[in-house]
Amino acid sequence: MQDIFVGFTSITWQMVVMWGIGGLLIWLAIKKGYEPMLLLPIGFGAILVNLPLSVVWEHEGVAGFLKILYDGGIINELFPLLIFVGIGAMIDFAPLFKNPTMIFFGAAAQLGIFVTMMFATLLGFDLRTAASIGIIGAADGPTAIYVASKFAKNFLGPISVAAYSYMSLVPLIQPPVIRALTTKEERRIHMTYHESSAPKWLKVLFPIIVTMTSGLVAPISVPLVGSLMFGNLIRESGVLERLSQTAQNELTYLVTLLLGITIGGSMQADKFLNYQTILILCMGLVAFVFDTVGGVLLAKFANLFLPKDKKINPMIGACGISAFPMSARVVQKMAQEEERGNIILMQAISANVSGQLGSIIAGGLILAFVPLIAH
Amino acid sequence: MDSLIQSLSHASPLSQAAAVTVGGLVGVFATLGFFWMIIWLSGKLQKGEKSKKAS
Repeated sequence: MQDIFVGFTSITWQMVVMWGIGGLLIWLAIKKGYEPMLLLPIGFGAILVNLPLSVVWEHEGVAGFLKILYDGGIINELFPLLIFVGIGAMIDFAPLFKNPTMIFFGAAAQLGIFVTMMFATLLGFDLRTAASIGIIGAADGPTAIYVASKFAKNFLGPISVAAYSYMSLVPLIQPPVIRALTTKEERRIHMTYHESSAPKWLKVLFPIIVTMTSGLVAPISVPLVGSLMFGNLIRESGVLERLSQTAQNELTYLVTLLLGITIGGSMQADKFLNYQTILILCMGLVAFVFDTVGGVLLAKFANLFLPKDKKINPMIGACGISAFPMSARVVQKMAQEEERGNIILMQAISANVSGQLGSIIAGGLILAFVPLIAH
Repeated sequence: MDSLIQSLSHASPLSQAAAVTVGGLVGVFATLGFFWMIIWLSGKLQKGEKSKKAS
């Protein structure tokens, strides 16, 4: 008789808490519109895997469908890489080619990754786990998942949730940080925009050069950078329009669906419900704050040396994070609020595109450096 | 370089993280700086081509 009611008799309070967390993620996705493509499947996956017996994961030694997907798409890093092909096909580097100096904000706004990594070591995490927590600051879900699946598989759930949640919270996180670091006058700086077109050969050569450079600087980053740039090459070649569209749509949507529910499946109560998860979620916020700080401070530093008519609106620096195009939109909205008619969107987008480059380069360098010195 | 890596591998996690931070930030700036140079050079090339055509 007990076997019949095994579903009821196996319920633990930890399961109930995880159902609540899953429900919260689904609510955030539906009601608040926070990264619904990821948070909804993650939330449902979290509920699925925390039902009694956890049949979707593993039962009586037989792997369930979520475990099969986890082994076939997360452990071997396949899903994030496939998503990168799709993202690469979506990225248009043209705004960056028009404002190349904005590329340095894409570097400065990776500060949060490294600052958070140091904080995490202070909190007692080992270097590999700390690096995986820091990479939340890449503001780039697939990079965070890729690095975490290599260095800290046990924390993949909280790291992914933090990465995607904070990405969707950029409109709430960045404005107060920007306001705290800049004066009203600085936020009102106008920037002239010169319309020019990049040559076709540059658009085609750029993904190849980026891949080869990354391969020379940090060979271990090649899957990460190579898949992104492969997608971009398909887009820019001009002869693979259907493949480009397939990568941007069907491939990305399908893999995102599987990735989300599989990440949710990795959120078993015994792995997720501990104080380290809370620390990781807090560290994620630190990462996004310091990303913004890094970008804004670089712009302010550059302004010390620039002539008056060429000064940079320091808010642009905050767009150096990879959350595209959300960050650029946030900054443009702030510029409009400060002074109607102040259009800095194109420069903001250039910095935002640079952030996408900067985040994968930073991820690649972490993948290269950490194993050298971490035991 | 080997001795530096060797000594870092025995250092505290915070020192290791600081080393990765320095290396990482320098690496990101250098790599993106290299991409900037490529874009800048292509811009110069394009301008040169345009002025040739105009003349």
